[in-house]
Amino acid sequence: MSSLGKIADAVDAYNAHVATEVARARTDIAFAADLRARWAKIRAGIETTHSPTGTPLPRLALPPTDEPGAIAEYLLGQGLPGEFPYANAAYREMYLDRDSEVGRVIPNAPVGAESKDQTRRVKDNPPHPQTPVSEEPMRLFAGLGLAEDTNARFHYLGKHQKSLRLSTAFDGPTLYGLDSDHEGVLGKVGEGGVAIDTVEDMTRLFAGFDLTRKDASVSMTMNAPAPVILAMFIASAKRRFGPDCVPNLRGTIQADMLKEVQAQNEVIFPIDASLRFLCDMIEWCVPNMPRWYPVSISGYHIAEAGATPVQQAAFTLSNGFTYLELLRARGADVNAIGPRLSFFLDCGLDVEYLVLGRVCRRLWAIGMRDAFGANTKAQVLKLHTQTSGRSLIAAEFQNNLTRTAVELMLAYLNYTNSCHSNSADEPFTTPTAKYATLASHGQSIIMEESGVFKHTMNLLGGSPGLLQLERQVEAGILAVFREMDTLGGVLAAQEQRYQRSKIQEAGHAYEQQIYSGKRPIIGLNKYITDEPMPSVPLARTSPKKQHLQVERLRAFKKKHAKSAPAALQKLENVARANGNVFAELINTVEVCSLGQITACLTNVVGKFRPMV
Amino acid sequence: MAPLRILTAVPICDGHDSAVSTINMELARHGFEVIYLGYHCPVSTIVRAAIQEDIHVVGISSYNGGHIVFFKEVVDQLRALGAGDVPLFGGGGGTITKADERVMQRQGTDRIFHAGTPLDGIMALIRKEYGRTLKPNTKLRGDRALARAITLAEQNPTHRPSPIAHHPPQKRTRAFVVGVAGPGGAGKSTLIDELTSRFLRQNPAGRIAILANDPSHPDTGGAILGDRVSMIYAQDDRVFFRSLATRGSLTGLSAAAPAAIEILRASGEFDLILVESVGIGQESDPFGLFGKKHRLVDAMLFVLAPYYGGRLQLQKIGLLNGADLVAINKCDHPMAHTARAEIAARLAANGKGQRLFGTVAAKHHDPGVDTLYAALAELGHLKVTPGGEKPCQLEVAP
Ligand code: B12
Ligand SMILES: Nc1nc2c(ncn2[C@@H]2O[C@H](COP(=O)(O)OP(=O)(O)OP(=O)(O)O)[C@@H](O)[C@H]2O)c(=O)[nH]1
Ligand SMILES: [Mg+2]
Repeated sequence: MSSLGKIADAVDAYNAHVATEVARARTDIAFAADLRARWAKIRAGIETTHSPTGTPLPRLALPPTDEPGAIAEYLLGQGLPGEFPYANAAYREMYLDRDSEVGRVIPNAPVGAESKDQTRRVKDNPPHPQTPVSEEPMRLFAGLGLAEDTNARFHYLGKHQKSLRLSTAFDGPTLYGLDSDHEGVLGKVGEGGVAIDTVEDMTRLFAGFDLTRKDASVSMTMNAPAPVILAMFIASAKRRFGPDCVPNLRGTIQADMLKEVQAQNEVIFPIDASLRFLCDMIEWCVPNMPRWYPVSISGYHIAEAGATPVQQAAFTLSNGFTYLELLRARGADVNAIGPRLSFFLDCGLDVEYLVLGRVCRRLWAIGMRDAFGANTKAQVLKLHTQTSGRSLIAAEFQNNLTRTAVELMLAYLNYTNSCHSNSADEPFTTPTAKYATLASHGQSIIMEESGVFKHTMNLLGGSPGLLQLERQVEAGILAVFREMDTLGGVLAAQEQRYQRSKIQEAGHAYEQQIYSGKRPIIGLNKYITDEPMPSVPLARTSPKKQHLQVERLRAFKKKHAKSAPAALQKLENVARANGNVFAELINTVEVCSLGQITACLTNVVGKFRPMV
Repeated sequence: MAPLRILTAVPICDGHDSAVSTINMELARHGFEVIYLGYHCPVSTIVRAAIQEDIHVVGISSYNGGHIVFFKEVVDQLRALGAGDVPLFGGGGGTITKADERVMQRQGTDRIFHAGTPLDGIMALIRKEYGRTLKPNTKLRGDRALARAITLAEQNPTHRPSPIAHHPPQKRTRAFVVGVAGPGGAGKSTLIDELTSRFLRQNPAGRIAILANDPSHPDTGGAILGDRVSMIYAQDDRVFFRSLATRGSLTGLSAAAPAAIEILRASGEFDLILVESVGIGQESDPFGLFGKKHRLVDAMLFVLAPYYGGRLQLQKIGLLNGADLVAINKCDHPMAHTARAEIAARLAANGKGQRLFGTVAAKHHDPGVDTLYAALAELGHLKVTPGGEKPCQLEVAP
C-alpha cells in the first residue's frame, strides 16, 4: 500500500472516532458534562461587536446547541477555527476587522466572561509565528511586458491595497527557462507575463519596494526554473538590502513540479531531476528563509486544465503528501517541512466549491497528524485561492464581473488565507489596468464594504447542506486516493498518465456539456443578447520592447562573457556531484542568464520527455 | 475516402493544451487521424512533421500570445520547403481576436476558430473544407515525395509503388531494417528515441527512418497517433518519422507498412529503418518472422518490461522466439533482476544465439542502451564513430 491508502484509512478511522465520541457524548454523563463545560467556556470567550446599524453580533458564530452529541460533532468533526481538524479555518480570526468595535457582552453569555484582551486569546491558540492572526487576503497576480512595466503595474495596484502584496506572472520563455534571444521565442517575450532573463531584470522588477518590510510579501508563479528565479530574487535582494536581508524576505514561489507534469506542462528536466532541484531549493529555504514558502502545491492548474473539483482536491492533496515523502526520504523532518508548505486552489461556480477548501484543510490535517505523525504547526493547510479563469468567457464578457464576484464569495466562505480575483477581460488578454482595478475592488467590496466577513467569524459556515456536501466531496476524494493507491501511488499513477487522462476526460466532458447546452453559460448558450461585441483593449508587448529585452540580455552576457563559463562549470560540478544545486545557483545567477543556466543543467540531467 | 490526417500542436513556450486535447478527442471520435505534437512545440518541429506525415491540414492552438508571429513563421517555413499547399488553421479562445485573424489570413493562415465555436460545428467544417483525397504528385521532392508515396500506399495497401530514388544507384545506402515489438507500454517508443540519439551521434551524416504503428479506434476509425510527440531526439531533419494508424489491420502493423518499408528502402536514403509495432499480444507476428510469409525486416528487437507476469506468461510470448535482440526495459523496476534471469534461461533454451540486454530507456545516457545500440550497429554493420559515445550537446528548446 502506498501512503495514499494509509491516509484514506486514517481519515476513515478519524471519522469513525468522531462517530464513537458523538455516541459516547450522548450516553456517558461525565463526558457530556465535560463537553458542556468546555462549550460554555468557549462561548463565554466570544466577544461581541456591532454592525454599522447597531445590531450586536458575536465575533465567532457557533451552532446554537447545548446537546453534547452536537457539541462533540462540531469540536471533533469540524474543529473551532484554528483548531484540529481545521475544517472551519486555519486561524482563529481570519478576516475579522480588528478596528471595528468589540466588547459588548453577548446576551446569552455569562456576564463577566467577555474579554477585551486580544493577546490572551492569541496565547490560548497560538497562530503560526510567521503569520499574523488576521491579514489582508488580497493578492493580485500581475505581469506584462518588461520588468519596468510590471513594476509600474505593481505600484499602481499597490495604491488599491492595504499591505504590500506582489504576485508575479512570468512570460512563456521565462516559464520554460529560455532566454529572450532564444530562436523562435521573440514573439512571446513579455506576453502573458513579465520577461526575466537576468538578475538585473529582477532588480528592475521590484524597484522602489522595500521587500524586507514586515507586511511585504512577494509571490512568484514560477515552476521548472523556480530555483534559478528564486536565486535571482535572493541575489538581487542582497544587492539592494545587504547580505543579511535574506531571512527577512517573505513570500511564496510556486515550484510545484508534480502538477506541471499533470496539468500545466512546464517541465524542462526529467521528472527525477526536476524533483531533485525542487527539493534542493526547499531544503535550502527551510533554514535560511524562515518567512518564505518554497512550494505552493497547486490545484488551480489541474482544475483549469479540466479536472472536476473532487479531482482537483484529490490530486493536489496527494501531490502534497508526495512532496513530504520525498523530503522525508532525503532526511527532512516532517515537522520542519510541514509548516513551510502552502496550497493553491481554484474556485469556480460548481457547487462543490462551497466546501472544497474546508474539506482539503480537514483531510490534510488528519493525514498529517495520523499518517505522518506531524505536530500541530505542520497540520495546518494554508490556502491561496484564485477564482476560475476558465469560467470567464468571451461572449458578453462583462458578465465575468458577476462570475468572479460569486466565486470570491465562495472562496472567502472557505476562509482562504489569500485570494486572487480574475479580471473580466481574462479571456482576451493579460489584464489591462481598468479590469485589474475592478477585480481588486471586487475583493475590497466583499471584504470591506459588505458585512459578511468582517464582524463575525464563520457567519455562514457549518450549515446542514454544507456539511452534507462536505461528506460527499470527501468521499469522492478518498475514492480517488484509493484508486491511485492501487496504481502504486502518485508517482506510479503519474507515469501511467492516470492524472493526465482523468483531467483531459473531465475537460472534454466540460466542453461537451457547454456546447450541448447541459451546462448553462449565460451569454453563450443561454439568454444571449444581441449586443455587438465591444472591442476590448489588449495589453500586448511591442516588438520594440521585445528587442530592447534582447539587447539588455546580450549586454549582460557580454559583460559577463569572461566569468560565465567558470560559474557554469562550477554549477555543473555541483550538479554532477549531487550537491545542493540551489545553494550554488545563488552564485551562478550573478553572472549567468536563465537560458545559460538551463542549458548547463540540461546537459547534466537531460530533457523531459513530453507526456501528453 | 481514407481518414483525414490532421496535425495538431501548441506553440513554443505555451503549455495550454486543454483546448487542443478536447479538439483531438473530438477529432478521433469523428473518425479523423490526429498526429499530435504536444505543447511547447517549435515551428521547425511542426513543419517537419507536416511534411513527413503528409497531413491534410495543420491545426495550432495558441494561448500565450505572439500568435501572429508564430503562425506566419509556420506558413513561411512550409512555403520555403515546397509545402505551401498545406493548409493551416488555429484557435486560441479569446486571445486571438477577429482583427488578428484578418492579419493572419493575409499572411497565409486559413481561419481561426474563435471562443464559443461549437465543437460539432468545428468538426463539420473541417470535414467539409479539408476532406480531400491526396493525389500522386510528381512535382514533390525529398521527404515530401516519400511521404506522399506512403500516403498512397495507405490508400491502397496492395498497390506496389514505383520506387522513389533520391540518389543514383551507386550512392544509395542499403538500409538495415529492424522491427521493434513488445507489449504495450514496455518502452518501445522511448527506446527507439534513445537508439536514434545514438545513431545520430555516431553517424554524423546518416539518416534514420522510423515507422510508428498505432491502433485505430475500432468503432470510430479515428486515432490519436501519440508516438511522435514522445520523441526528443527524433525531432531532427536527419530522422524521417511516419505515424501509421492500423485502420482495421490486426497484424500489429498498418496494412501499408510493408509498402512503406519498401518505399523507404528503395529511396536509398536511410542507413537504419526502425519499425514499431503496436503493443502486441501473445500470438502476433507483425514482421512475418514465422511461417512462409514474406519477412519484412532484417532483424527484430523485442522489448518487454520486467512485470510480464511470471515464467508461465513468458512461455506464451511466441514472438520472443523470433527476436534477434531482446531488451528488458525499465530495469529500474524491482522485478528486473528476476526477469533477467528468467528470460536469459528462456533464450538459452532457444539456442539461437539471441542476445539479451537490460535497459532503462527513461534514463539520460543509460549505459544499457549504449550496449544495446552497439549490438544493433554491429548486427546491421552501421558506422560507429569512435568518440561518438561522448554525450551529445542537447538543444535546450524542444
Ligand atoms: C485554462 C487556462 C490555463 C490553464 C491551462 C491548462 C492546460 N493544460 O491547458 C493554466 C491554469 C495552467 C494556465 C496557465 C497559464 N496561463 Co492561461 N488560461 C486559461 C484560460 C482560463 C482558458 C483557456 C482554455 O483552455 N479554454 C477552453 C477552450 C476549450 O475554450 P476556448 O479557449 O474558448 O477555445 C475555443 C476555440 O478557440 C477552439 N480552439 C482552441 N484552440 C483550437 C485549436 C484548433 C486546432 C481548433 C480546431 C479549435 C481550437 O476550441 C474552443 C471551442 O470552441 C484562459 C482565459 C480564458 N478564459 O480563455 C487563460 C489564458 C489563455 N492564460 C493566460 C496566461 C498568461 C497563462 C500563463 C502564462 C500565466 C502565467 N504567467 O503563469 C500560464 C502559462 C501556462 C503555460 N504552460 O503555458 C492568458 C494569455 C494572455 C495573452 N495571450 O495575452 C489568458 C488569456 C488569461 C489572461 N487573461 O491572462 N492557463
Ligand atoms: N521507469 C521506467 N519507465 C520507462 C522506461 N522506459 C519507458 N518508460 C515509461 O513507460 C511508459 C511507456 O513508454 P513508451 O515508450 O511509450 O512505451 P511503448 O512500448 O512505446 O508503448 P505503446 O506504443 O503504447 O505500446 C512511458 O511513461 C515511459 O516514460 C524505463 O526504462 N523505466
Ligand atoms: Mg509506442
